[in-house]
Amino acid sequence: MASGAGATLLALMYPEFLSVPGCNAGLYEMITFENVTKTYKRGVVALNDVTFDIEKGELVFIVGPSGSGKTTLLRLILREDSPDKGRIWVAGKEIAHLNHWRIPYLRRNMGCVFQDFRLLPNKSVFENVAFALEVIGRPQHVINAQVPQVLELVGLAKKRRNLPHELSGGEQQRVAIARAFVNRPLILLADEPTGNLDPSTSSGIMRLLDRINRTGTTTIIATHDASMVDMMRRRVVALEHGALVRDQERGIYGYGT
Amino acid sequence: MAISTRYVAKETAANLMRNRLMTVASILTIAVSLSLVGVALLLQEGVSNATVRWSNGVNVAVFLQADVTSSQSVSVHDQLVAMPEVRHCFYMNKQATYSEFKRLYANQPDVYETATPANMPPSYRCVLSNPKDAQTVQAQFVHKPGVRNVAYPGLEINTMEKVALILQIVFLSLALILFLSAFVLIANTIRQAIFARRREIAVMKLVGATNWFIRIPFMMEGFVQGIVGGLIAFGAIFFLHWGLGYLVNHAGAQILKTIVISSNAMFVTAFAVVIAGIVLGTAGSLIAIRRFLDV
Repeated sequence: MASGAGATLLALMYPEFLSVPGCNAGLYEMITFENVTKTYKRGVVALNDVTFDIEKGELVFIVGPSGSGKTTLLRLILREDSPDKGRIWVAGKEIAHLNHWRIPYLRRNMGCVFQDFRLLPNKSVFENVAFALEVIGRPQHVINAQVPQVLELVGLAKKRRNLPHELSGGEQQRVAIARAFVNRPLILLADEPTGNLDPSTSSGIMRLLDRINRTGTTTIIATHDASMVDMMRRRVVALEHGALVRDQERGIYGYGT
Repeated sequence: MAISTRYVAKETAANLMRNRLMTVASILTIAVSLSLVGVALLLQEGVSNATVRWSNGVNVAVFLQADVTSSQSVSVHDQLVAMPEVRHCFYMNKQATYSEFKRLYANQPDVYETATPANMPPSYRCVLSNPKDAQTVQAQFVHKPGVRNVAYPGLEINTMEKVALILQIVFLSLALILFLSAFVLIANTIRQAIFARRREIAVMKLVGATNWFIRIPFMMEGFVQGIVGGLIAFGAIFFLHWGLGYLVNHAGAQILKTIVISSNAMFVTAFAVVIAGIVLGTAGSLIAIRRFLDV
């Protein structure tokens, strides 16, 4: 892989990088958590000494019951919060102590999808997706080229003029995915992406996320939708009370079964 | 990172339109408060022009003939300083008198355009130990050779200064209160705009818009309110100045004749007022952004 070779070259030129997690020779870790602990006010432990790596291009499910720390984990990757202890690397950068003004540039490497879609109700499908490019200062010709492409990818090219409330839940989530992916991020984060959808719509969304993952986008999906996890048979990281209790290649959801 | 002006203009206009009533309220408050400040400043200027002869505690002015000889002049000076009532005197030459004259008649160009430094009367300006002795000095000097006339401030000057001072205090206090309300109104307008756009702001943060990109439309909103309010105040001051001139020249309002404000001073004040509007608007929005926009 090109980026793997790049990392090797980097390691040859700067041997000190060899000791840096997230920049191992030959392997390119997209995300690394190293003994990460996050405690909220009033002593609620959201994450407790969590350590794991996610490689470039992986698709990982973060599973666990409500309150197990899934959302906190995503918030830490997005740098909406910083850990109390431990270190986090994203795309080779340590982000726990990132300068405040660099955070927007970190987020440009990521797309994010939520259970509640978070579309702008007064903007059309096209405008919602274009907004993500517009506010990071992309010129109009780039917007005009990239938005139709990504709408084609999520299968909504024909509905570009519709407003979100005219769409079904599954279609709204597709718009949200288009918005997350339109800037071709390195990482796609999804927090309960099928939480508001019925099973058949959910599997469509899951297939779409899988397709995006196959373009090389590292994809992290936090979910407690057991059927989706079992259907996909991909890597599963399980959390319980903030602790990492299981990390399995080709895993299943594994609760209540 | 480049922030396109088109985007900023679009967003600012949308914000202003969304909150029309509040926007109008803050613009008018700014306009009224700044007009009051402007009028107070111009009043200060006008009164200090009208009383320029009596600044620095001068109690009596002995004007000499324009063609006075130097021996006459010296003799007047020696006699003045010899008087026990006179504390000290200074000489005002023709050129300085000409500048003062122009300032006094700034709004009557036909008066000062016929004057030249050469036909101005030089004068001795004297500070007395007791201002009440001005009449004694006048009686003694008015018929001396080379003396044209002797002037001292009448009661009306004192009254005018007092009235102007009270007006200024009233105007500036009102302006201060309105300033504060304008500030609060702007901050509140921006707060509402931020609230109305909280979804957009959340998405912008998520996709990596920079903090300044998010802030600038809100800042521009305060800036526009400030500059529009300031321009209205500019218009009000301009109109007031014009009206005053009209009353003096056409309606024969002689009482106002002593209050002289040059167009120059008026424009300087009006520009200062616009700048103050911009500062007020931008500062109000910055406060709101700091308090309510968590980026």
